[in-house]
Amino acid sequence: MAAMRKTVFFAFVTALVIVGGLQAQALPPRLEFRHQGLRIETTPVRNHVEVSSIMTLLGGEAAFSASAGVWALSLGDHLVQLAPDRRLVLVDGKLTEVQDAPISSPGGIAVRLGFLDDYILAPFGFHLETIVGGYSIVPGVSSGKPVTIRPAAADFSATTTLVLSLDRKIEASVEARPGGGVVVLMPGSGPRIESANRLRSRRVRSVVSGPGRIEVDLSPGVGLISWNVLTGPNRIVMELGTVPPTPTPAPIIVQQVTRSGPRPIVIDPGHGGPDTGAIGASGLTEKALTLVIARRLAQALRNAGHPVRLTRDGDGGRALTDRAAVANRLDARVFVSLHANASTVASVHGAETYYMSLDDRASDEAAQSTADLENRAGGSFVQESSALELILWDMAQSEVLNESARLALRVQTRLNALLGLKDRGVKQAPFVVLTGATMPAVLVEVGFLSNAKEREQLASPEHQQALADAIALGIGDFLVGR
Amino acid sequence: MKGRLIVILLAGLAIGALLAWLLVTGTTQVAPVEDVIFAEPPPTATPAPEQRITLFFAGDDGLLHPEIRTAPLPEETTARIRVVFGELLAGPRGALQPILPYPAELRTLFVTPSGRVYLDLTGPPEPLEGSATELMMIYGLVNSILLNTDVIAVQVLFDGTENVTLTGHLDLSRPLVLNKDFIGR
Repeated sequence: MAAMRKTVFFAFVTALVIVGGLQAQALPPRLEFRHQGLRIETTPVRNHVEVSSIMTLLGGEAAFSASAGVWALSLGDHLVQLAPDRRLVLVDGKLTEVQDAPISSPGGIAVRLGFLDDYILAPFGFHLETIVGGYSIVPGVSSGKPVTIRPAAADFSATTTLVLSLDRKIEASVEARPGGGVVVLMPGSGPRIESANRLRSRRVRSVVSGPGRIEVDLSPGVGLISWNVLTGPNRIVMELGTVPPTPTPAPIIVQQVTRSGPRPIVIDPGHGGPDTGAIGASGLTEKALTLVIARRLAQALRNAGHPVRLTRDGDGGRALTDRAAVANRLDARVFVSLHANASTVASVHGAETYYMSLDDRASDEAAQSTADLENRAGGSFVQESSALELILWDMAQSEVLNESARLALRVQTRLNALLGLKDRGVKQAPFVVLTGATMPAVLVEVGFLSNAKEREQLASPEHQQALADAIALGIGDFLVGR
Repeated sequence: MKGRLIVILLAGLAIGALLAWLLVTGTTQVAPVEDVIFAEPPPTATPAPEQRITLFFAGDDGLLHPEIRTAPLPEETTARIRVVFGELLAGPRGALQPILPYPAELRTLFVTPSGRVYLDLTGPPEPLEGSATELMMIYGLVNSILLNTDVIAVQVLFDGTENVTLTGHLDLSRPLVLNKDFIGR
């Protein structure tokens, strides 16, 4: 009778194809990651993986900007910026909304496995592949073919039958994890769990997907008794029940990466390569002028004891979004982008200093948009949360903006005082090159190549040196006041 | 009696079919609210009343300065924006300088229910130079449109394409709001 009831219950569960809406990751107490012959073991934090551990393994850098509250992960030319509790991530300057926000952790910041694979490893050119006890981080894009998993569970007095219904036939194996729980390995597959309903079982706490694997978190004392991969329909059936507890090994703490040396000032000579910028009537190009002044500025700052890096020290072109990314990677104290201006009005002259404007996102307009979203019937949650998250992200940047405003004022004051330039003042505008900078950042327009008198001045080495000295003094004033 | 019943039955079936048809077409035609675009209305024969409008042009100081004039200003938003753009394109009547560095044409424009305008212009025939040129053009347009309509943000497209920037400075990948930093005193 009991066997019959169990069979009926099992058939009922299978027929219903209960979908599991399980968003929480269920990771084992320890997780191993391997990369190019190196391995680390890390202790997941609330089922999230410490990012600093992964960056250590990859040989990359994880730097934290306290003023912005943002972590900058860099490897090669790629930069990923993320912050705890923010569902936005900047990947090489592009803002992306993610499903699960990173969390604060003892190592700084931790993310779910899916986040790690999609938004950290993928931009760096890697992906996760499943191995026993963890993952291998390998080059290339994940080639896992998607497979949809629909979990269902039926509790009996002493055991629980867990059925993972599959939308196609796959190769799979099931293993008990040393610290508890079960892992279903399905190499070459990208499992995705459907989430219409929440799985309910007193022995199965959660079923979540990772690259090439399914992690099953079980209640204490519950373990794997048996398993089968079946076809017609395709499914994995596990019998779960009480097993003797296994001791949990002590975690191995991975030391966090720390940056060595003082933080540099990053100078960005505007334009470069095929992008000449403005061209004066004399043939003087903006890209050449900004490079000359940047080199002079770098020397002036070095003479004052500041380490300096240039985003380009030749005629090489660099994408606008890469320039602030360089400063972020180096955890710069200050980012200064140098430009020379041009106007259709020939009389216009003078120097001006800009800092970033968050524009509509931090404005009443955004608040109005958000209110509209909240008020209107049928508005999508994604749109609402996106607008709110953008505002939250901007608020996190407000401290940096205040500092940028102060830096801009110091630089502009020195330019005005030392050069007797027409004060065109400090202004705010959403400049691409300043987007994403996590430190005080300004754009300096040193003068107008379209103005005959100023063009002549700008071509003179003495004036170029005077401009560099003035900007260096302004930066110095700002740093002293911090 | 039997004939009356048949008529009633047929009428009921017809009403049911009509309701079903309305239901089906009604659900399939509903679009997400944000996707609904206020397209330009057909031209009306009634001339719009002359009203004062404030336009921004460039001054000798490289900042925007207002020029107030009267123009036939329709009530409808897109038509109103077309008038404002036309006046900007015609240029200043006083001592100020044009903000458009080339004779840009307004290819089309859209206004979303949340009050954002997407202004699609023909691109410059030659690359433009300098952040000042870019700032005067873009904020001259943005500020003029915002001050004469009830919209709250303007995104400028060129040749139907969203651009990251025009001269390598200003971020044009998102709608812009009123910027007073570039308005001269």
